[in-house]
Parts: sequence; structure tokens; C-alpha cells
Amino acid sequence: MKQKIAIAILALVALCALLAPVIAPYDYSRQFRDTPHATASSQFLMGTDDLGRDRLSRLIYATRVSILLAPAAALVSVMLALLLSGFTSLTTLCLSLPWIFLFIILRALMPLNTRPLESILLTFALMGVAGWAWPARIFGASIEQMKQSGWLLQARASGIGSRRIALVHVWPHLRAIAWAQLRVLVPAYILSEASLGLIGLGVAEPLPSWGNLLAELQRPEAVHSNPWVLAPLGLLMIVMICLEQVAP
Amino acid sequence: MIRVLTPRRLLSNLFSLIVIVLLGGFAAAALVRYSPGFSSIPEDLDPSISPETLQALHARYEDSNPLPVFYARYLAGTFKGGFGISTALNQPVADLLRRRAPVTAKLIAMGTAGGLLLGALLAWMAVWTRKAYLETAAFSLSGLLLAVPPAVLALAFFFNQAPLAIALALALFPRLFGTMRTLLDDAWRSPTLLAARARGVGPGVIASRYVLGGAIPQIVALLGVALVLAFGAAIPIEVICGVPGIGALALQAAVGRDMPLLCALALIITFFVTFVHSVGDLLA
Repeated sequence: MKQKIAIAILALVALCALLAPVIAPYDYSRQFRDTPHATASSQFLMGTDDLGRDRLSRLIYATRVSILLAPAAALVSVMLALLLSGFTSLTTLCLSLPWIFLFIILRALMPLNTRPLESILLTFALMGVAGWAWPARIFGASIEQMKQSGWLLQARASGIGSRRIALVHVWPHLRAIAWAQLRVLVPAYILSEASLGLIGLGVAEPLPSWGNLLAELQRPEAVHSNPWVLAPLGLLMIVMICLEQVAP
Repeated sequence: MIRVLTPRRLLSNLFSLIVIVLLGGFAAAALVRYSPGFSSIPEDLDPSISPETLQALHARYEDSNPLPVFYARYLAGTFKGGFGISTALNQPVADLLRRRAPVTAKLIAMGTAGGLLLGALLAWMAVWTRKAYLETAAFSLSGLLLAVPPAVLALAFFFNQAPLAIALALALFPRLFGTMRTLLDDAWRSPTLLAARARGVGPGVIASRYVLGGAIPQIVALLGVALVLAFGAAIPIEVICGVPGIGALALQAAVGRDMPLLCALALIITFFVTFVHSVGDLLA
């Protein structure tokens, strides 16, 4: 039951994210210069930020960025992990690299005039490329286990070709693991993007993401004057809790 | 499978540690050196700076040697003592690390200890009391904390002038709680413990001898994972709360394109991660 509710909430959030241009009251970058720091009203349901941009519209567009790109990055990680799972030494080396440190360094090294769209793709691409080693180790261990299994030995003894063994016999087992890894990586990447955005290394302005919306929490006076500043954190927590419910 | 700690295994682990640290340092230096933004500096955006000055600034930031030559020279300098001079902060890297490392070490040590203690306490309550409401409460707290970015937790503590180590402990707790609960549950269900309980052995003896005694290898392995997780969570916490530790130094080094400092940090952090994993592997 809990899982069904979680899936329903996630589907609703994803639908809102996909329909952002239709349901958002304004464009995410439109500035209402006469009404910066506006509190919630019938015109701006969550008020406006310090540049006079509608908070609700920015939250809807931010959801699109965070909730759609995190699965894409997770897919990249899982595909890389599948491809590289045979290289045990490379996996061990990559697991020993301080990835969070390197990730922050590489993101910080980007030019200051990086375009918003480039910054989105770069942030999530770095996550996708950096996160392959853990799933690769799990794939590697499963493949090793399968190699010693009786059914694979029988398939080989029956003269079935390597390609058919891989596609028909091994892949169905790996598919379940890949799906489980995807469900583990998506929340991890959503949280990573939020952490990076908080320290100013996530998606570049004016494009909104949960990370750069959370950066406003660094100004406690903003929270006191308009509690809707906490809305991105609330939505992030709801989505994360729902993802925990559907996680393997 | 129990693996005995032999001198050969110890040497093999030491050799792997050295190779991984050197390769890791090189890989990190290569990633940094060839990242698309390495050759761009903040001064590029300043229209008042003349092209000649910009050229001189670029020459100062960029080492003209090929990366392997730079890395070999850097390692040779490191073995002679010191990690070179920071180009961005114009100070010996060793001095910078000496000042900053204890701050991060203290934050990580206290945060890890707090996370492990809280995880153990709640796992103990959930498994030992066999009360469904306690287990639900522990899982709910874990799930709630897992949904919050560690930096947001740290901000809440920072603005209320509470110790940041508690924020780190709360960020780590949900990532350790599940494993600790499984460990304790396995111990609870083990036939040895069942026999001890049937013999009327007291809870204190059961906890110290049967549960902790049997779970030490797994706890050591978990400690290794916890330390690495704590380091990862400490970097954004330091940056956002202005803690003068290694995380904040790393960001300063990246923004200043400070290759000697970045290489030193990559070597030290790779050593830390690999060392922690090796110790966990040897003792497990």
C-alpha cells in the first residue's frame, strides 16, 4: 500500500514536471521588478524571490530539471557499470578515488561564463560518469557468481553461443540488478545535485533546480519573511521519502 | 570465509595501497588538468585587464610541462619533503594542510562517532526490545534524515549555533542504521545467542560477549565505510558553513587553479580512502 501511494505521488510530481510550461503561472526567469520579496498572494501563490521571480513557477521548472535528469544520470552510470564491470582493477581504482572531492573540484573548475544548459548537462553528466564504480562491482560479483552456476555450465555444454547466453540467460538476471541499481542511484543523484546547488556549484542561474532554490536557505531572514522559501526542501523531502519507499 | 592476517597479506595490501595512491593521484591530476575549464581563469571575464596581463596570468596558472613530467617532478618534490608551494595562496602546501587537516579530522571523527553511536542505539532498541512502535520510530527517523541533504542539516545547526558534528552525525546515522540493524538482528537470531538466553545469561554479558564480540569484523568494515561517507558529507558542510578545513581548502584550490595544492589533496584523500578500506579488509 505504502509503495502504491509513493508511486502515485512520484507520478504526480513527474507529470507536473513534464507539464511545467503548461501549468506554471509564469516563465521561470520572468522578473516582476515592482514586487521583489513579495509574500504569498493570489497573483504569486508562493511569493517572489529577491529578483521578483515567481517562486511557484521556479519550483515547477526546478522539479523538471532535478527529477528528469537524475534518472538520466543514473542510467548513464548503470550502462557504464555494465560495460566496465569486467575490468576489476579499474573498478577498484575508481572506488578508491575521492569522487565527491574530484566532482566538486571539476565542477568548480568550469568557466564562470558556463551557460545554464551546459551547466545542467555537465553537472548530471559528471554524476553519471562518476557513479559507475559501485554498480560495476555489484554487476562484476553477480557475473562471477553466474559463471560458476550449474545452469550456465549446462547452457555452455549444450553448445549455446556466447551471444545467446549473454542475451537470453545472463541479461534477465542482470536486468533485475540494473533496475535495483537505478532505483538506488536516482535519490543519491537528486541529493547530490541539491548539495552542489547549495554550495553554488550546481545548475547555473537563471535556470532553476532544487539545488539552487535551496541556496536561499543560507539567508535565514528570507525564511522568516516568507516561509514558502522552504517549499523546495519540503518537495525534495517528499520525493526522497517516496523514492525510499520504492527502493529495493 | 576467514582469512588469516599473514605478513604476506599485509605486504600485498601495503603494495596495493601505494600503487592505488600513486595512480589515484595521477588520475586526479589528469582529470583536473584536462578539464575544459582548467585554462579559464576568473580574470578572463574582466574587460579592464590587458591581453598581455592575461597571458602572464595564464602562464602563472598553467604548467608548460606535459602532465606525466609535472606529476613525476611533483612526486619527487613530495618525497624530498613538503608538497610544493600553493600558487593561489602563495604558502607552502604542507603548512596549509597542517593547519586545515585537524579541523576536518575533528569534524569527521566526532560526526562518525556520533552517527555510529546513534545508529547502534536505535538499532539496539529496534531489535532488542522487539517493540513494533520503537522499530517504526527508528525507521521513520532514519528515512526522514535520509531525505535531507547533509548541507541543509548543517545550515540548521549553524544558524542555531549548535555543533556541526551533530549535523554530520545525523546525516550519517541513516546511512549506517540499516546495516547495524541487520547485524544485530542476525546476532539475535543466532543459535549461540539463543542458547545463552535459554541458559539465563544476563543482557550485559549477551551484549558485550555474544553480540559485540561476534560483530567486531563487520563493525570495523562499517567504520571504514562511515569514515569515507563522513568525509564526503563534510566537504559541502565545511564550504557552506565556512569551516576552515580540507573541504573549503579544496574549493579554494579549484577556483584558484592551484595544481600543487589540488595534487596534494588528491594524494592525501586517495590515501585516506584506500587506507581505511585496506584496514577494514585486513581486520575483517
